Amino acid sequence: MPVVLPPNVTERDFQKALDAFAGVVGRQWVLATDEDRASYMDIYAPGNADEHIPSAAVGPQSAEEVQAVVRIANDYKVPLWPISRGKNLGYGAAAPRMSGTVVLDLGRMKRILDVNERFGYCLIEPGVGFFDLFAYLQEHKIPLWMSVPANAWGSVVGNALERGYGYTPYGDNTRNICGLEVVLPNGEMVRTGTGAMANSPCWQLFKYGYGPSWDQVFVQSNFGVVTKLGMWLMPEPEATLGLNMQLPNPDDVGWAVDELAPLRLNGVLQQSPSIGNSLRIAASQSQRSEWYQGDGAMPDDVLRTVLDKFNLGWWSINLRLYGYDDVNEAHAKIIKAAFAKHTQKQFEVVKWHRGDPIGNSGAGVPSANALQMINWRGGRGGHLGFSPVLPPTSEHVLKQFHSTKKRYEEIGVDYYGSFTLFERSVTNINLTVYDRDNAAMTSKVRALFKVLVDDAAKEGYSEYRTHLSYMDEVALTFDYNNHALLRLNETVKDALDPNGILAPGKQGIWPKAFRGSRT
Amino acid sequence: MSAKQRFRSLAPFIVFAVTMSAAIGIGMARPGFPQAKPSSDSPQQLDEGNKLFHARCGYCHLAGGTGTIMLGRRLGKDHALLEQRTDLTAAYIKKITRVGLNSMPPHTRIEVPDSELDLIAAYIARLPSARTPPPNGVTHE
Repeated sequence: MPVVLPPNVTERDFQKALDAFAGVVGRQWVLATDEDRASYMDIYAPGNADEHIPSAAVGPQSAEEVQAVVRIANDYKVPLWPISRGKNLGYGAAAPRMSGTVVLDLGRMKRILDVNERFGYCLIEPGVGFFDLFAYLQEHKIPLWMSVPANAWGSVVGNALERGYGYTPYGDNTRNICGLEVVLPNGEMVRTGTGAMANSPCWQLFKYGYGPSWDQVFVQSNFGVVTKLGMWLMPEPEATLGLNMQLPNPDDVGWAVDELAPLRLNGVLQQSPSIGNSLRIAASQSQRSEWYQGDGAMPDDVLRTVLDKFNLGWWSINLRLYGYDDVNEAHAKIIKAAFAKHTQKQFEVVKWHRGDPIGNSGAGVPSANALQMINWRGGRGGHLGFSPVLPPTSEHVLKQFHSTKKRYEEIGVDYYGSFTLFERSVTNINLTVYDRDNAAMTSKVRALFKVLVDDAAKEGYSEYRTHLSYMDEVALTFDYNNHALLRLNETVKDALDPNGILAPGKQGIWPKAFRGSRT
Repeated sequence: MSAKQRFRSLAPFIVFAVTMSAAIGIGMARPGFPQAKPSSDSPQQLDEGNKLFHARCGYCHLAGGTGTIMLGRRLGKDHALLEQRTDLTAAYIKKITRVGLNSMPPHTRIEVPDSELDLIAAYIARLPSARTPPPNGVTHE
């Protein structure tokens, strides 16, 4: 595999930069063989992994080493792509936006620096995975709960910085960030919030500090490398109460959102439930070929057979109440009454009390089993996420659902979607699952994605997160005042990063040096 | 997902959490595994390989994990659990870890350093060949 050098960097300078990196981190942590480069590519890409080829990777072990690497990158004008654990699966994994970029792999920085039971927070480095933090809390019997995403193989820091979410009342992982340590593109280190005071006891207690609050500026951005992150954790509740239901019909998602949205807003429901089409569950327990061998999207009657076999409805809803037993019971009564207006089905009720095994609790327990679904089509599976944000009403949800499902059917891909209800919005995650070795299929998927972005933009819906290949396209849908936000972002980018060495192109933000690479 | 299904999905974690607990510690610069030497099958190093396998690979390759499920579908239940396989060489384990296989992504040398992978591979390859190779003519080398 030929080495793709960073733009405008000679082979000689590139090699000198790698040598200088090795002088900081040690030769063994500069990864530049063909096999190394391949291991950082987007394994699940729909046939276009070669648009995002890294030139090498470098793995510092400390924030000080990150500073040194960043300064060297400036010296040689070699761009860096920071990753925490590189598990941004469905959105590009560990690969850089711009080919030739060196991956700055923070996976060796995996210290859990502090866990404060009394105030409910932790301070961690980017390499700490969900499994790592969970094991630590369990081992030390610390009654704090995490929020974990469906696939919890990745980094706690990385997930929060990409606006990932879980399903407890602390499910909005980005909102739980409290205090960052950041290496800026010039190598200077800053701490945000009250961490900007050298002796503050409140770094993980008070988010805002004094003056502008910077935590969120380093989320989904290329303005700095986060080397430590404070995260609020949820105190273990006295009890939880789960309400699970299978909704039989496609349009049931509409009334479910209308009923749940006000309850989510007024706090009867404190977590953000995911209403997912039940193919998600069927795909974890079987493969498509067991049901259907034809081309095109699986017909509705076949899908019904699949769902009947597993005793599933068209949608699955899992609600969970957290807190005191009596309060949970009262809230459950309100939710049951709301659903009774539309269905005679009864909720499956799951109760957990402190001291019971955690598996049934609704705590954030990490699992990587969500990956099972990429085996649905057989072959070498891949998946791509399309994730627009909508107002929480049946009108918006049903329109978007039917529009997306129709687009999937037009190109012959099975619809696979979910609606996660937040206080004032719904995030609609749609996955396309494909066989990476089927070039015709991946080509269609790439075309589908562009159509979906355009369709959503016409409705005024933005994506909350997107794959590397579509970062520019999505950024351009933010078009108010002739893309004033993009101009602001790039003004800040150029001020902080005049050489453009940090993650060029991330979220469509290009530094002056590489602005010609915008697609 | 029903409560029962959800609990089943936790099965790999339950083993994982126990074995992982030794690997993480406050203020530790690196996981608490001894520095690895080149591949060896001494009892102590096999034990280290066991712990590392559970910590690094257990997400998917313990009972109930997604890798175990996928292997079971492709090769049969007798070949689903890597820890029980008798047909895998250390060299093969190391190669697949680095380059991936089917839906399994490659693992970088930072995620699983060579020194750790040597121990993991020696652990998985520890059992003498006693079983039949996978069905359907699928080979691993």
